[in-house]
Amino acid sequence: MIDLSHLTKVYGDTAVVDDVNMHVEAGTITVIVGTSGSGKSTLLRMVNRLVEPTKGRILVQGRDVLKMPAYELRRSIGYAIQSHGLFPHWTVARNIATVPMLLGWDRKKVAARVEELMELFQLDHAQFAGRYPHELSGGQQQRVGVARAMAAKPALLLMDEPFGALDPIIRGKAQADLKAIQRRTGTTILLVTHDMDEAIHLGDRIAVMDAGQLKQYAPAADILARPADAFVDDLIGTADRPFHYLTLGTLGSAVEPGEADGAPLAASASLYEGLGALLWSGRKAAPVIGDDGAPLGRVSLSGITDRAAQPR
Amino acid sequence: MTTLADAATDGAATPRIDRLGVVIAILMAVALALPFVTFRATRIAAGNGLRLFDALPPTAAAAVGAVLIAALVTAVANRRPSLRLALGALALVALALGAGAAGTHLTPADSPYARIAPGSGFWVGLFAGAILMTDAMVRLKLGPVGRLIALAVTVALVAGLLASGAWSHLSLIAEYRSRADVFWREAINHVILAGGSLAAAVVIGLPLGVVAYQLRAIRDPLINVLNIIQTIPSMALFGILIAPLGWVAANVPGAHAIGIRGIGTAPAFLALFLYSLLPMVANTVVGLNGVSRAVVDAARGMGLTVFQRLLQVEMPLALPVVLTGIRIVLVQNIGLATVAALIGGGGFGVFLFQGLGQTATDLILLGALPPVALAFAAAVVLDAAIEISGRGKA
Repeated sequence: MIDLSHLTKVYGDTAVVDDVNMHVEAGTITVIVGTSGSGKSTLLRMVNRLVEPTKGRILVQGRDVLKMPAYELRRSIGYAIQSHGLFPHWTVARNIATVPMLLGWDRKKVAARVEELMELFQLDHAQFAGRYPHELSGGQQQRVGVARAMAAKPALLLMDEPFGALDPIIRGKAQADLKAIQRRTGTTILLVTHDMDEAIHLGDRIAVMDAGQLKQYAPAADILARPADAFVDDLIGTADRPFHYLTLGTLGSAVEPGEADGAPLAASASLYEGLGALLWSGRKAAPVIGDDGAPLGRVSLSGITDRAAQPR
Repeated sequence: MTTLADAATDGAATPRIDRLGVVIAILMAVALALPFVTFRATRIAAGNGLRLFDALPPTAAAAVGAVLIAALVTAVANRRPSLRLALGALALVALALGAGAAGTHLTPADSPYARIAPGSGFWVGLFAGAILMTDAMVRLKLGPVGRLIALAVTVALVAGLLASGAWSHLSLIAEYRSRADVFWREAINHVILAGGSLAAAVVIGLPLGVVAYQLRAIRDPLINVLNIIQTIPSMALFGILIAPLGWVAANVPGAHAIGIRGIGTAPAFLALFLYSLLPMVANTVVGLNGVSRAVVDAARGMGLTVFQRLLQVEMPLALPVVLTGIRIVLVQNIGLATVAALIGGGGFGVFLFQGLGQTATDLILLGALPPVALAFAAAVVLDAAIEISGRGKA
């Protein structure tokens, strides 16, 4: 979907993005994580040419973006940002319709698409279509921002700290919703964040950036298990590492034969949630059931904790 | 009606004395004590002040006095905005009708040269009534449409009074009557000077502001130059323009034919235009700068072209600030256009400066009151437009 080769951006004497090579698979979520000033936003903004690269090449779906008119390129790529950037003088419906209108879709098609998206993002059309952004809550504004970015069904969606302005509870829900919507639509997402939790939770692959350089680019499990260097190790946080690791596996993978007492746990829940449930109920093991409610066996405390150890 | 003493004994729950109300009441009392009209044997003779009961027949004087006293008491003792508004308006109407009636009552049948003009008491009372009304309107939280309606009602009332002939014996109207043709010609001149220079400033200043916003390098130099123009006194600027425009008229073919002269309308128009540029350009830049960075970034990221961004996002969001610039320019130009008469530019200033030359107070007022009324009306209309344009952009 995206191929970056030798991508470099220099401001003055500083290389903000320094010779980055990266390939993003279609239909996946790739999260670029790093501290502020690591060049992660600049990298993202070069993909839709909000920042022009100093050197290097960017291919999106095999096309060299530097050879297309910038506005045409941007209309083909979804773009969502931290403080949503909704147009305050336009209603929710008009905001969502921005790119389809720019592309000259006919009215009926635009209206139908707006309705479809508002349903997808759980915004009641009758209630919210005619409202202005300042009449919405932060979470609703954020959803409208993402809906707007996806309006013209772009194959690629760029997101710059899209959940940064949300409080933790709404953020968790918004992340889960985004992941579910992405699985449904198959949109390729390139997302920038400074939050390792968010990266691990959302990313099929994680790109760690520091001082303009791509330090490590791998699936979340690999980053946790084998951090490339001390910086990546620091970013994960040594205390949290086993717990992060447990969020990646499901209880289904830790099922062992046998029985246990107490309330059953769902096989689709993460190992992290299973560990929490066991610790809190004071049990050493719990029964596991499948999506259909059929008993599959049990999970034990030691069965889970074994999977929190660094793989060799 | 609750008196002040009663209100005070009601205790902590009752609001304390309305300070503005006290000021209004004092003004109203002063108005009652000062001469209501001035009587002059001829239009430039020394005036002789007449109090309310000397100026009007007893019943009429009592009626006007009663209304003013009611307004005075309401200002201090009653807090209901609607009642205050009604009494403020009533006071203004009583003063207007009273002055007209005094004109009719006092004009001697045998002396067409005698002049009756509203006196200091009338003006102070008018001021007090106007404050009472505007204060009440603010408290009523009148929306933009409500204020426009209030303005329209005021205009209709004044027009009605003028048309009815109720004021026909007042000196101001006598001055107008003897030069009605010239009055309307200069009125049109005035509006063309003020409105035309505003239109030119919008046509030139708005794009200039947009360019200054896009190109940082020219922003400060441009604003600095316009700032310097703004500091030149109007008389000096008119004077400075005489030489270059005179040269243009003499040497550029066709310039003279389209009305360009060293003196007259051309330098006045140009000076007003130059004064208008700073508020237009500066407000355009400030308005565009005030558009949130996130909104501009989103607009770019969505694929709006530079022009689409400007027309669909940046300008609509900057509109309230740009309109504020237009309001400043229009009010400023309506006032400044008065000075244009000094270099033969026409406008209401013609009467003002004639009046000053003849020490004829009424003629001065004939030149001064219309621009004041115009500027006030322009401010109300544009304030309403600014408020309406700013809706939904929180």
